[in-house]
Amino acid sequence: MRTPKTLLPLLALVAGLALAACGGSDSSGGNADEFADAKPVNGGTISYGHEQEPPCLIGGWVQQAYIMRQFSDSLVSQVEEGEIVPWLATDWKVSEDQKTWTFTLKDGVKFTDGTPFNAEAVKTNFETWLNPKSLNPTVDAYIGEYYKSSKAIDDTTFELTLTKPYSPLLSALSQGYFGILSPKQLAKGPEANCEQPIGTGPFIVKKWNRGKNIEFVKNPDYNSAPKNAKHQGPAYVDGITWKFLGDQTLRYGSLTSGESNVIYNVPTVNWKDAKGKFQVQQYITPGRPVTFSLNTQQGVFTDKKVRQAFGYAADRKAAVESAFNDVIPYNGNGSLSQSTPDYDESLADAYPYDIAKANQLLDEAGWTEKNADGVRTKGGKTLTAKVVYPAGSVVSAEGVTLLQNVQEQAKEAGFDIKLVPSSPSETFGGKYATPDSYDAITWYWTSPTAGVLYIVWRQNLKDRPNGNNASFYNNPKLEDTIEAANSTQDEAEQQKLYAEAQQLINEEAAAIGIYTQTTSLASQPELRDVWIENSQGEPVFHDAFFAKKQP
Amino acid sequence: MKTVALKVLGAIAVLWAAATFTFFVQAALPGDRATLILNQDSGQIIKRSDAELAPVNEKFGFDDPIYAQYVNYVAGLAQGDLGTSYRLKAPVTEIISEQIWPTIFLTIAALVAAWIKALALTLLTAKRGRIPSALGSGYETFTAALPHYWLGVILLVVFAIELQLFPVEGGSSLIGLVLPALTLGIPLAGFLGQVTRDEFEKVLDQPFVTSARARGMGDFGVRWRHALRHAVLPAITLSGWAIGALFSGAVIAEIIFARQGIGNILVTAANMRDIPLVSGIVMLVALIYVVANLLVDLAYRVVDPRIEVSS
Amino acid sequence: MSGVLLALPRVQVRFRPGLALSIALVAFFVIAAIAPSLLTTQDPLKINLGDALQPPSAAHIFGTDQSGRDLYARVVYGARESLFIGLAATALSMSIAFVLGVSAALGNKLTDGAINRFIELLFAFPVLLLSLLFVTVFGAGLTTLIIAVGVGTAPGYARMIRGQVLAVKGSGYVEAAGALGHSYPKVIRRHILPNAMRPLVVLVTLGVGQSIVWASGLAFLGLGVAPPSPEWGALLDAGRTYITEAWWLEVMPGLAIVSFALALTAIGRYVQQRLEGGLQR
Repeated sequence: MRTPKTLLPLLALVAGLALAACGGSDSSGGNADEFADAKPVNGGTISYGHEQEPPCLIGGWVQQAYIMRQFSDSLVSQVEEGEIVPWLATDWKVSEDQKTWTFTLKDGVKFTDGTPFNAEAVKTNFETWLNPKSLNPTVDAYIGEYYKSSKAIDDTTFELTLTKPYSPLLSALSQGYFGILSPKQLAKGPEANCEQPIGTGPFIVKKWNRGKNIEFVKNPDYNSAPKNAKHQGPAYVDGITWKFLGDQTLRYGSLTSGESNVIYNVPTVNWKDAKGKFQVQQYITPGRPVTFSLNTQQGVFTDKKVRQAFGYAADRKAAVESAFNDVIPYNGNGSLSQSTPDYDESLADAYPYDIAKANQLLDEAGWTEKNADGVRTKGGKTLTAKVVYPAGSVVSAEGVTLLQNVQEQAKEAGFDIKLVPSSPSETFGGKYATPDSYDAITWYWTSPTAGVLYIVWRQNLKDRPNGNNASFYNNPKLEDTIEAANSTQDEAEQQKLYAEAQQLINEEAAAIGIYTQTTSLASQPELRDVWIENSQGEPVFHDAFFAKKQP
Repeated sequence: MKTVALKVLGAIAVLWAAATFTFFVQAALPGDRATLILNQDSGQIIKRSDAELAPVNEKFGFDDPIYAQYVNYVAGLAQGDLGTSYRLKAPVTEIISEQIWPTIFLTIAALVAAWIKALALTLLTAKRGRIPSALGSGYETFTAALPHYWLGVILLVVFAIELQLFPVEGGSSLIGLVLPALTLGIPLAGFLGQVTRDEFEKVLDQPFVTSARARGMGDFGVRWRHALRHAVLPAITLSGWAIGALFSGAVIAEIIFARQGIGNILVTAANMRDIPLVSGIVMLVALIYVVANLLVDLAYRVVDPRIEVSS
Repeated sequence: MSGVLLALPRVQVRFRPGLALSIALVAFFVIAAIAPSLLTTQDPLKINLGDALQPPSAAHIFGTDQSGRDLYARVVYGARESLFIGLAATALSMSIAFVLGVSAALGNKLTDGAINRFIELLFAFPVLLLSLLFVTVFGAGLTTLIIAVGVGTAPGYARMIRGQVLAVKGSGYVEAAGALGHSYPKVIRRHILPNAMRPLVVLVTLGVGQSIVWASGLAFLGLGVAPPSPEWGALLDAGRTYITEAWWLEVMPGLAIVSFALALTAIGRYVQQRLEGGLQR
């Protein structure tokens, strides 16, 4: 097992921080304290206002990970600073050559359809995830290249064989996508599991009312909570009504009116208000932050100096803080979010606002003339960059504000930034997946491990370009560094290698950091012990309970 | 009998054409549907390899020539099978039958609210002297120009979030239906009111009204028994025409008020080029339109039995 | 619903002060569209992060937006795109409606039947549905908005034009002209079309306002023009996020849209009344 790493500059979880900050400052803040020492009681149904609705209840999108966390358990769980603790697997060891992982599984656990949980079930799950007919593309991105075979040694011993060493394995497995499902139900095929998946988790999917909510009821026989849970055994509450409230004004309104006990992603404009009235917590999502991935193969950003100049040209920090009302943190590092284990802190302020430097770099790069609009030109071409962003759910209204701030700021250095919103069908249909389609694109990848660098930055895959390498930046040295980091078990060495990789990306300005993804929750004062798990920011309701007022 | 058969045939032709148009618009587009499905399932935006695409293409038959896919689709339609949603992995008929009712309730509630409001305002203010008339007419013109989404957001914030007179989440409760229905109903009432008022005022000048008054009939009786009956006819036609606008408005109201219904489903389905689902909804809208206009014809006959409606 | 307003046969316009105000408003927005710098000295794109989300004041009469831009300047500069969308969509809609309506009315029974079915088909695609479909074809943006609104509002107008032409065709003077031995094409050109088309002037006035309302509704669904354009629908869409803390972001552009549509309606109804008065005389 891995030991805790050096303390991160910013803890991913700042749960309860706000509570402490506002305690007694006003009457509603005091309200929350009145339940502070309450003892868990059974009963009640949590009305939870979530944001987006996925097409299926299982799959490889973070929205699905959130839901899977409620009805399924994973093999392991990740806590702060990248430490891994037991969950469905009570223990594990890795062979000398680091290719064979042996997991000891919890005994006496049953899926909620009565099927026993055992090594055979785990094997079925691995095979289902990676079967082209029922592929989970996110699982594939993490372990597809590494997976060789799985084997059930006996009921409680599962053996996973890899093609090459892969140290982020356990972190990857801790995510909701890797929740273990009932093999009996899996055998019914993707359609049945889309709507009615079955796991071993604290809650059971009772009914999914599309466009409205998911009704969860508690699993009365639950006996497989992870070690980092606040209690073992069944959930305290009777169930969850998981509502889809897409509009953020409405979502916050449903909390203030009491129609929701807890909501997801508090609108940043209401954050201050929420801090005074509710228990708020914010999780800074690890992985690849929201960045400008600059196209290194075609267009103006092929020149490293121009890429660097773009970084210096805008006051990204001020732009982020203003657009997100000081709620969502700026992330200067373009390769990893500040809450990721092995994040290189020295890059926190990479490419600070420095208009003189930007101008100098652009001059050096030959963009010396300016046209009537103040846009730099070179050989008759204007310094125009097409910046594509996925409109709608991925980049929020605040995100669009941020982009406009940067656009306007970069004008001063002579950049002409064209913002291009990409509709969902264009975004997911792959319209902006090739080097000729943009100069920069904004995207992110939530991941509990620096191993995500491999997904994002490795060069071409065996049969095609690596689409996640949105900068189209191919550098064997970078790939080797990341691969070496992924393979070593020596933590100091690993950290050093990941840092090298981040510095290389930064030096090349292949991606310019902007802000982090976050999960925030605001809950009514009497709803205690809702927490956010650490791999993907999934809300956890297993420990939650409605406190009774103390006499 | 012959006209009925012709009408049904015409309606079927319209439905079929609507489905066909939708099918080809969505199928013949550049961009790959299999990629869309894979990327959406994983939250990625990348180019997919042939190996990844093959099973998806095979499953949905995307590799077949477009016309073969179309023939297949139409053959299904003929048997009442609208196909399976690519994205939601459930039969389209099931999804629609589950989502249609909240939308229908909302639309009917809006129509009823609009009629009550328009009629009340007309009865109270039309030809009641210059000032009330002008106020009533001005108010109608104003409400008719209100955009749904703007009205909806403001109603939500003022009456549900700030004043807390109504639930923020509409849900399926009757009280939760009030704000969304008003969002659609207020502008519609403006339109209906304008038409009814003009007719109403014209009718009040007619000789038969004067003679009714001469017979000693009270003002309310005249307005209610005689004038209104004539004045509502154009508004009835208008209601049939308004179905499309109501549907568009319902989509918006469902999004603002986070209501279950066809609107929310449609927006995502169109965004994701979920052809069977979008085509299914298009046919449904066409069907509703056709049925609504048949009802309008019927209402016409009831209100004014003398009128022979030509198709 | 836009077109159906015109179903009303005869209207008595009452409030003349309203008419004066309407003309003033329309004139204001037309100036804004042609020469916005006459109406404001502020730059609609100039951000000022320290000054974000300021309520209306003497310095910023409509307040500032989430990037500290002057909202009044944005509304004024937004008039150009919004008015363009309105005019272009109406032009498209009228052209389609004209072709369909006139050919249905003047054609034989078969043509009329076929066109009527086609119009019904168009009715089955409400503006919003059509926009959603077109966005998947053309992507979001100005052109898509114009096409969607133009095509989506066409069937209502087409029906009206058809009705109008039929009415004129059946009227006494057209029959008289026929009886006097005028050739059919000449009757159409000289009598039917001019008389049937006169109400179109009104339709256009009303259509522009309604198209702007529709287009801004599509922006609400994220199908609008790209930022940082201050097109009115885009302003409304951006303002929605901040409405509980900064009401002016939603209210001010909304008022611009409503007042413009309202003013056009008032003018349209006045013109309609004058035209019909003229006809009766």
